[in-house]
Amino acid sequence: MRTGLAVVIALLVAAAAPPALAQQGVTDSEIVLGGSNSFSGPLAFTGEQATRYGVDLYFKVVNDAGGINGRKIRTIYYDDGYKPQEAVANTKKLVEQDRVFAIIAPQGTPPVVATLGYLEEQKVPLLFPFQGSPVTRGRPWVFNGMLLYDRQAKMMIDYLVGQRKFKAVATLYQDDEYGKSFLTAFEKNLAPHGLKMVAAESVKRGVTDVSAQIAKLQAAKPEVLFLVLTPGPAAQALKERQRIGWTKVVAVSSGPLTDERYLALAGDAAEGVEGLSLWPDPVASDLAALKRYRAEMQKYFPKNEPNRYSLSGYFAAMLFTEGAKRAGRTLTRSALVTALEGVKGFDSGILPPLSIGADHETQKQGFWVRVEKGRFKQLTDWLKAE
Amino acid sequence: MTTAALIHVVVSGLATGSIYALMAIALVIIYNATRTLNFAQGEMLMISTFVGWAAWEALALPLVVVLLVAVAAAALLAWAIEWAVIRRAISATHFDVLIITLGLSLVLRAAAGLVWTHDQFPFPSFFDNRPLVLGPVRVAPVSLGIIGGSLGLMLALGALFRWTRLGRAMRAVAQNQRAARLMGISVERVYSASWVLAGVVGAIAGVLIAPVVFLSSSMGLVVINGFTAAVLGGFGSMPGAVVGGMLLGVLENLAPLWLPAGIKHSVPFLLMIAILMIRPSGVLGRARQRKV
Repeated sequence: MRTGLAVVIALLVAAAAPPALAQQGVTDSEIVLGGSNSFSGPLAFTGEQATRYGVDLYFKVVNDAGGINGRKIRTIYYDDGYKPQEAVANTKKLVEQDRVFAIIAPQGTPPVVATLGYLEEQKVPLLFPFQGSPVTRGRPWVFNGMLLYDRQAKMMIDYLVGQRKFKAVATLYQDDEYGKSFLTAFEKNLAPHGLKMVAAESVKRGVTDVSAQIAKLQAAKPEVLFLVLTPGPAAQALKERQRIGWTKVVAVSSGPLTDERYLALAGDAAEGVEGLSLWPDPVASDLAALKRYRAEMQKYFPKNEPNRYSLSGYFAAMLFTEGAKRAGRTLTRSALVTALEGVKGFDSGILPPLSIGADHETQKQGFWVRVEKGRFKQLTDWLKAE
Repeated sequence: MTTAALIHVVVSGLATGSIYALMAIALVIIYNATRTLNFAQGEMLMISTFVGWAAWEALALPLVVVLLVAVAAAALLAWAIEWAVIRRAISATHFDVLIITLGLSLVLRAAAGLVWTHDQFPFPSFFDNRPLVLGPVRVAPVSLGIIGGSLGLMLALGALFRWTRLGRAMRAVAQNQRAARLMGISVERVYSASWVLAGVVGAIAGVLIAPVVFLSSSMGLVVINGFTAAVLGGFGSMPGAVVGGMLLGVLENLAPLWLPAGIKHSVPFLLMIAILMIRPSGVLGRARQRKV
């Protein structure tokens, strides 16, 4: 009896004993990643796509091919419904209870920003958050995902004012951090051209009618109208523009907005709209990497349509895999950070060859598109904003 | 700002206001019969519109049939909710029932999310979005269509209340439940009928507005504007609900023309407070006096 107990205790101790060179979230056979994201609330579709159909899609492929240096990747997600306080609680749970190695692809500026302090204090890498406010720039444990908003704004102004010679620009923006970061950056980048924003109107989330804002913008007679919104209100704005027959103005969507959902909602009111695209067309692109992405989606999630949110998550998982492979078998958090900083000329086949370096920005380019017959048609090559 | 632009903004506001008015009417129908507020009204609208849309997606039905499917779904859902939940709580206070409907709204929204996701979807419209040019003025057929459709429905409801047996029974129950029962009116049946009627009004409002605000699990939030409209007009009054809704829609649109756009959403509430201070019973509400 006593020996039996001793054996049990010995087994338990052996099972609980940490392997050599233990790093939280990394065992001999597994790497655990996690993230707080929107699975309900206004960004639920984006969150679900980026994680379960994006990040997880790529990791399924990697796991089926033997994992990263022999380790399979497992992911854990919790829903924050775009609420900062819940994002903080979820993130603490991930780090302290689920003991994840790193946080991957959380979404939305307010929730992500709320977790920054905690993650830095715990020295947990925050990888490729799906948000573009520059507040995440220059932080040692953060690697940015989306092309940061100030770079996007500069790219848009340089192209429209510098190359296309437009002079009068106006903005319809969402009344939050996302809209305001863009507005500030637009104004800042107009100044060197000796120009000022001719009008700017804001829209709140969940609005039912934007006719007043559009009427005011039209009265200012802009040549270009920037839309810094989410798909629903942006499609409403385009329909409103169609309703008043305001066809002259060039409507231009911000990077996060340039997506297929918004086109589908706006229908024929989206014809001729231009925008900055951060990703190749997930449905129609002929790039080999995009064909592979679609084939893998068809294999693992045949019911899910390809889209740029899942593509962004897929890309985040691809970058993590590249970093973790480079870090080697002794995978620690600081080894991962060093390995990612060392990424040079990485050809994902999705974006142009990418070097990360000390600024921790992974996406620095976008290209110009115009909607023709319900699809985005590429107008320029990749633009830069250095 | 040109006059033409101003007219467009007002017409657009009237269209949104019509939907608020229909929501207010649906709330008032249930309130008058049962003295409770149905916070799940918006979610009932959302679910029935989704059902219509699902039928459209699956079978490519003509839009009129989609409307009928949505109406049938709404009637069934409202009847089921009344029968399965509300009637069981008949001895509970009005406040309890209100909380039950609030809970129902959360359950229905979550259920819609599970079935159809929380994404937004385009919805087919009866009316064209391109403007009609009438001299210097441009108006959108879709706005006129929503206004016309809503007014038609309101007239039909008015006729129902005035001239049908059911309508009379509903008015009788609203005035004095005990007396109505003594006159041989089945109060339970009136309860059930008012839920079904409110559901149907919601479904029509849903099909009218979905092409404009898009179909999503959160479209039911329009119930809040409906509630405001009902209070503005004087809670319990049908014409009041119509006036309240239209007033709200137009003011919401006019306010940001001169005030910062951020203030748009507070205007209705400021107005509500102002009206309640001047006329506590609402624009068309009847002052209730208790005689001793």
